[in-house]
Amino acid sequence: MDYVIEEKPAPGRDKVEVLGATFEPGKPEGAERGRWRQKMASREEKLRYLENGERYWYGKDWFGSEKRKTPA
Amino acid sequence: MAEETKKSIDPATIQMLEKAARDGCRVVFDRAESTKACPIGAEGNCCSICAMGPCRVPVPKGREETPEQKKNRTGVCGATAETIAARNFARKIAAGAAAHGDHGRKVTDMFIAAAKGEAPGYEIKDEQKLLQLALELGVTIGDRSNNEIALDVGEILRAEFGKQEGELLMLKRAPLKRQELWRKLGIAPRGIDREIVETMHRTHMGVDQDYQDLLHIGSRCALADGWGGSMIATELQDVMFGTPTPTHSQINLGVMDKDAVNVIIHGHEPALAEMLAVVSQDPEMIEYAKSKGASGINLAGMCCTANEVLMRHGLPIAGNFLQQELAIVTGALEAMIVDVQCIMQGIVDVAQCYHTKIITTDARAKIQGATHIEFIEHDAIESAKSILRAAIDNFPNRSGEVLIPDVKADLIAGFSHETINYLLGGMYRASYRPLNDNIINGRIRGVAGVVGCNNARTTHDDAHLTMVKELIKNDVLVIQTGCSAMALAKAGLMVPEAAALYAGPGLAEVCETVGIPPVLHLGACIDNSRILMAATAMVKEGGLGDDISDLPAAGAAPEWMSEKAITIGQYFVASGVFTVFGVNFPTTGSKEVSDFLFKDMEDMYGGKWAFEPDPLEAARLMIEHIDKKRKALGIDKARERVLYDMAMRRELE
Repeated sequence: MDYVIEEKPAPGRDKVEVLGATFEPGKPEGAERGRWRQKMASREEKLRYLENGERYWYGKDWFGSEKRKTPA
Repeated sequence: MAEETKKSIDPATIQMLEKAARDGCRVVFDRAESTKACPIGAEGNCCSICAMGPCRVPVPKGREETPEQKKNRTGVCGATAETIAARNFARKIAAGAAAHGDHGRKVTDMFIAAAKGEAPGYEIKDEQKLLQLALELGVTIGDRSNNEIALDVGEILRAEFGKQEGELLMLKRAPLKRQELWRKLGIAPRGIDREIVETMHRTHMGVDQDYQDLLHIGSRCALADGWGGSMIATELQDVMFGTPTPTHSQINLGVMDKDAVNVIIHGHEPALAEMLAVVSQDPEMIEYAKSKGASGINLAGMCCTANEVLMRHGLPIAGNFLQQELAIVTGALEAMIVDVQCIMQGIVDVAQCYHTKIITTDARAKIQGATHIEFIEHDAIESAKSILRAAIDNFPNRSGEVLIPDVKADLIAGFSHETINYLLGGMYRASYRPLNDNIINGRIRGVAGVVGCNNARTTHDDAHLTMVKELIKNDVLVIQTGCSAMALAKAGLMVPEAAALYAGPGLAEVCETVGIPPVLHLGACIDNSRILMAATAMVKEGGLGDDISDLPAAGAAPEWMSEKAITIGQYFVASGVFTVFGVNFPTTGSKEVSDFLFKDMEDMYGGKWAFEPDPLEAARLMIEHIDKKRKALGIDKARERVLYDMAMRRELE
């Protein structure tokens, strides 16, 4: 994803740089509505998602309820 | 009409049964009436594995059996009723595992061919799923191309079929405690084919004659399917054709179009169906259909092949298992194209009453009287086109009454376990936590996997619908596959709006918040492995115990029919799931074997079988089990929320 940096006024300061919207504009239509996996474009992004989103199997430092257990 | 309503609850089916009767065409429902089920075989009391038999050892009806009589109730070889029932049961498991395993092997072969560039038309569509497999199989990713990675992944997984020692690689996906248990019990499968072969050997005349041992190795064979053959098939299909994501479509015979060339693809494997979905959109093929007087090409699915292309392309489904002949009865079906599994030979006879062409496409599944046009994966596009052309050529041969029932329903399918994870948390916080939290706080009582076939010995779709309605009414989230999923979709329960109409208040609230139906479609029967993965994710997320057997969850196949269903049931049980089957149960002729399956297995696996033909009663058994697990987890009662102030906190210390 290409991150957009926006400038916003901040109290006591002139302007600050903040991360802009990370969602896509508009609403998906038709078959596009369910296609969430296709949003990940690069291999790095896909691997990052696996490590975080699918951490139950691919996370390196988080193992849910089995974290405390001695591996079988 | 009254007679027909006893056969099915589905209006489209009833309408077609009436038409079949008018047309003088005999279908499966008629054959079920004239061909009575063998009562001895149904209870598992008939042994036909050697030529000294078949030996029938039924329990005497209407009188108590003396110990002496029971001792003498054996086959010619001396095999007891227990051995016979357990042997029959284990053989069913082996047959089901072989069917799923051979499906998985064929997909693996095609996957390797695609990776080598030898199967034009097929490619890696889901890179992320490929990376997922590479990570767990230890395949180097780096800067390698998808095809290079896929070749390594394919070779490693193909070796799983013929592996002789060690254990299946995908067992490592299961909760750690479950893996440990399988190893301790000696039922961790070594290789997919090896477990099937050994089960067939042990059930040969004069080999393993200890019923408990037979059922135990049956578990190992079943696990080789659920965490082996089926899982490999699902994963590689996802890589090649895409991991399912929510897709809208329609279901029932009303999806057929009287003006178009109607083609139904029926069976279980997605390779041909995927290609037909592509070539049926080809302008050249559409033009060819028009040249024959049709408005276009209308491709629909039937049975599990339908589930495969529904979830990935939104292709409509014409119906489930017991509707395969009824699609022909419409008089509007140009061709039924079949691959493997659950294809009734009766379709050829029914097709002779109409103009429909039955086209077999797989070298492993030919039918007398059908046209065989083999699908060649290495020349997939041209091969699919030639099959489709044969269907189009049949359009001018339509004659007689065309009657397509005006019955169809909307559905949302495509809830892979990855998609559920995403839907519950989003791209940056995908998680099963919301599901677990809502189970812990009691909005959701538990989760039930309701799967399996249709069976002409019971009212079509009725048990599926009755059971699932009862479960969701009691706040049990239902996940489904196969023909069972289709039954619920036809009844309109697979759209988000169904939550407000049918679900209990807690489940409805969660469904409304997430935007999901109360009944989730997870795919074809081979995709029951997705249910295992979802259950594992729930365990690993935490808060609901350390093993699948700790979860407030249950499984069912209320209208089961095929041997594959028994295999699925056994791998559910051996994975720790309480599993209820309806219709009949193939060991009821032996109390000992049934007790072992229905009681003793729980002590070993944490899961057990139950048999209950009444779907309402079966649902109650499942809810009872879910409540038992909730109690064991300590989440059966709402706890008072207390806001602690500093003084109270100090007191705690």
